[in-house]
Amino acid sequence: MTSPDKPPSRTLSVEGLARVEGEGSLHVEIRHGTVESVALEIFEPPRFFEALLRGRRHTEAPDITARICGICPVAYQMSACLAIEDACGVTVDGPVAALRRLLYCGEWIQSHALHIHLLHAPDFLACEDAVALAALDANAVKRGLEIKRAGNLVMSTIGGRAIHPVNVKVGGFYKAPEPAAIAELGDPLRRARDASLAVLEWVAGFDFPDVEGDYRFVALHHPTRYAIEDGRVAGSEGLDLDAAGFAQLAVEEHVKRSTALHSRLDGEAAYLTGPLARWALNSAQLPDLVRDAAAAAGLGPTCRNPFRSIVVRAAELLFACDEALRLVETYDAPAPPALDVPPLEGTGHGATEAPRGLLLQTYELDASGIIRRARIVPPTSQNQLTIEDDLRRVVQSHLDLSDEDLTWRCEQAVRNHDPCISCAAHFLDLTVERN
Amino acid sequence: MRPSVVVAGVGSPYRLDDGAGPAVASAVAARLPAAVDIGPIAEPLDLLGRWDGAELAVLVDATRSGSPPGTVQIIDLDRSGTGAGTGTGGRAPSGTTSTHGVGLAGAIRLARALEEAPPRIVVVGIEGERFGDGEGLSPAVRASVAEAVRLVLSFVEEVHPCA
Repeated sequence: MTSPDKPPSRTLSVEGLARVEGEGSLHVEIRHGTVESVALEIFEPPRFFEALLRGRRHTEAPDITARICGICPVAYQMSACLAIEDACGVTVDGPVAALRRLLYCGEWIQSHALHIHLLHAPDFLACEDAVALAALDANAVKRGLEIKRAGNLVMSTIGGRAIHPVNVKVGGFYKAPEPAAIAELGDPLRRARDASLAVLEWVAGFDFPDVEGDYRFVALHHPTRYAIEDGRVAGSEGLDLDAAGFAQLAVEEHVKRSTALHSRLDGEAAYLTGPLARWALNSAQLPDLVRDAAAAAGLGPTCRNPFRSIVVRAAELLFACDEALRLVETYDAPAPPALDVPPLEGTGHGATEAPRGLLLQTYELDASGIIRRARIVPPTSQNQLTIEDDLRRVVQSHLDLSDEDLTWRCEQAVRNHDPCISCAAHFLDLTVERN
Repeated sequence: MRPSVVVAGVGSPYRLDDGAGPAVASAVAARLPAAVDIGPIAEPLDLLGRWDGAELAVLVDATRSGSPPGTVQIIDLDRSGTGAGTGTGGRAPSGTTSTHGVGLAGAIRLARALEEAPPRIVVVGIEGERFGDGEGLSPAVRASVAEAVRLVLSFVEEVHPCA
């Protein structure tokens, strides 16, 4: 029996985090009832994409960076395009920009549908994984997969295929989809929008731990629309910068335990990007359909409970379906499908909203368009310090739980932010037992 | 009505030997049009919805088992202890790299739980050597594609004896 005034030291350790992208682990040390250290460790081998980009032509950046992630290739392509176009002094707007936004909506739909149904919802329904959830509520999982397919269809129709789209180029697209092909997206998106309303209602009914974070939110903001594919960088404390300014402010440091860089604002403050940040800064811009459904789901203008990020993600899923449908119905095939982007010596920055947060890229080009320097700041490295803060808070406020339950709660705290630790190659890691 | 057969290469043709599965699947479909190639499958979850109505699905995936490159084998995902056999969220062992932890075995388990899986699923593995960025197969893997194609055809022909 433990003396109540001197609780024992506890160590919680998860060597292989489940239901996150890539490989990570977490370690928590508790000494005498106080959380002493929290470490989210990322041990994916570093992928030298920034070095790989050096010496390549400016037109190659979207295709190379798309390989970084199988879940958010469009985010990588779009930030790369914006940064290269910025360096070359070209602004893409009109029908090409609208088509980019539609493609990006496809990625949001498939990524959010996947995270909500297969990765996050099991946490709230005492299910080990989506297979257990399928046994409990097959219709919910089927509904999620159907929505995800609608997102995949948007991506394959515009991008040429659902994973790593090939139709994106600096300046726009290689080929504009035929209006008839875009029109065919209407029915699946209408069904996905209806289904997303049901998803929002479903997740709003989950039980959420009563935890709130004192977050410093950072997200893109656009004056006239919910920012996805462009905008200035805004923050909950009055931040208002273009991508170049933000690139200066977000300082990355290398931490021994992780192969991902950690970002701090001005080298000091941890911050959070992603659905909670976007919601806090931009939800007033959403259409009535989404705002009304979100209000019915209990979402106020700001949500600081990271566990309720699933509700915010569901509201964004509904928005992405609705917005994609609007863009389908107003589609004007861009002609030409891309602007010419001749190289120009200089530096350019581009920031867009990946499903899991702000993604910044910077390129330095020489006069012939060769990339001399590249910098990629993905959402997960920006969120990592805040995720660790969340873990500290969650552990401190749930010390009464058993080690097993507390460990489970910690894993949930990580999954709340949908971290994307690596890109994926699909070989089987196979161990054969031989007698 | 004859039962339908689908084949799918799992993997990316742009990740060197990870493209072994798609290479085998397209070769099978070229030899035997009755076997519909529904790949390449970069994300195993995409199998759901694509293989609907199939009596038999033959999936071909690159493996990393420590066997010599090019080794072709039939994989029982329920028993082999594969990294991809961790469901959609169980404790993923080192090396499980499928997108968001939903590996091939996880996708199959999920499809079965949803009663949306073909009654018979066969997984053929072809041992890869290099999985970096780029196109093309290693010589040993390329040399084994024909053997893998024959193995897949033998399964297809059980369902389509006259094909």
